[in-house]
Amino acid sequence: MDKKFNYEEFIKSFNVIGVVEDKILFEKDIHDAIKFAKNTYSFDMLKNITAIDKQEQGIEIIYHLYSTENNENVRFSITLQDECESVTDIFKSAQADENEIYDMFGIKFLGNESLKRLYMPESWQGFPLKKDYVQDDTRLAWNDSSKDV
Amino acid sequence: MTAVKTFKLNLGPQHPSTHGVLRLILELDGEKILSCEPDVGYLHRGMEKMAEQMKYVQYLPTVDRIDYLAGCFYSELFCRTIEKAMGVEIPDKVKYIRVLLLELNRIASHLLWIGAFLMDLGATSPFFYAFREREMILRYFEKLTGQRMMYNYFVFGGVRTDINYLEDIENIIDILPQKIKDYEKIITDNPIFLTRTEGKGIIEQTLAKNYSITGVNLRASGVSYDQRLYDRLYNNIEFVPIVLDGKDSWSRYKARILEINESIKIIQQALEKVKQLGDLRQVLINPIRLKLPEGEYYSEIEAPRGLASCYILSDGSDKPYRLKWRTPSYYSVNLLREILRGAYLNDAIAIAGSLDIILPEVDK
Repeated sequence: MDKKFNYEEFIKSFNVIGVVEDKILFEKDIHDAIKFAKNTYSFDMLKNITAIDKQEQGIEIIYHLYSTENNENVRFSITLQDECESVTDIFKSAQADENEIYDMFGIKFLGNESLKRLYMPESWQGFPLKKDYVQDDTRLAWNDSSKDV
Repeated sequence: MTAVKTFKLNLGPQHPSTHGVLRLILELDGEKILSCEPDVGYLHRGMEKMAEQMKYVQYLPTVDRIDYLAGCFYSELFCRTIEKAMGVEIPDKVKYIRVLLLELNRIASHLLWIGAFLMDLGATSPFFYAFREREMILRYFEKLTGQRMMYNYFVFGGVRTDINYLEDIENIIDILPQKIKDYEKIITDNPIFLTRTEGKGIIEQTLAKNYSITGVNLRASGVSYDQRLYDRLYNNIEFVPIVLDGKDSWSRYKARILEINESIKIIQQALEKVKQLGDLRQVLINPIRLKLPEGEYYSEIEAPRGLASCYILSDGSDKPYRLKWRTPSYYSVNLLREILRGAYLNDAIAIAGSLDIILPEVDK
């Protein structure tokens, strides 16, 4: 288990597009890659998952893995449109992150059944952290032109 | 055979023991918890969305509010990320001032936890004792920064003013060790406290890692991971991360007590260093014209509740393109699903309390 992470070796065994600093870019198979990294290189913690709206390119999702044994960080990144493989079966903490990303970006994680509105109310339309999100909810007084605020 | 009748209990959101507004939907069979579903979001302020619409300097005062009990840490985290992006190395004196204030803030946060946790268990006196000592620290912060909780004292490249009133800190670290001993006499071996905490809320190592639990909660499960060991701020400071094997609520309590003692040692060292170095000389980054170069910036810090991190993606403008916070309490809330299952209702508050969850941090 206690094996140092080897970028070259890892990149050979997976179909990756490129490497930027400690970030490995994937096109697909992110689930298998994370599972492999956990089982082979003792990356035992998924620190967080970050989503970024890159507009035309789609939404980039970054998985930040950490090994408590070797104190090593590595990031996996995948860019996609609206659906992603869930990694809740590998890391339970992903449940929290995926739910947050669903709430803020509207990404559906296939295999995660319990996605729901988290911070926003159940009835809320749209996904706030997307760049094309328009704050025109007329329930807010300043968006209602009939009211003088 | 009759089917087991279960029922749902709504715990919160306005429950005194939830330290904010947390709602837990518990499914009960008698007094046994079958499942727990946390419902968060009552304090959502849209910190991440706000960042995208504000200049960095406008956003700076708001970051203390992510965790109102440990504002210094998020301030430091944000400043650190900006400094990293601009390639600025802060002077030694600033480093030690920051360490000093961070550790004071950590003690204040842990003291509040001790008081509130014992209050959750039904003991009222420790709450007043803990707040009495916490008050000394808050008074000091008020004297130095003008604020008791939201300090806004760290700025990009340094601190707002030179540190002062060092005799107050000396006074605090003179008094505290004896007070901590007093707490231990009242609490640590108290039979009622032991029955409520010993062997309750066990978090196994693999479970903790799987749920991305960090900080004291992880170290009380026997995993030696303290981000301070890899932190450049703590380079010339000697300390030992507190690692206990108990895995239960009691170990988490004990770990926090020991961590306060460790923080006092750190403060003593930082205080010596601050005194040795002369007047404060710092070159601040001009916050008005601040534009981060294009790219990704990431930094981490060991906050009282675990590992906090800040991620900034900049497109070269004066506002971040995307800013992401990692807040440790959010993962602790998620863990409640697992550790409350099979526990009894009367232990639910004790277990949830032992994780040191703070809700503004969860909701961001």
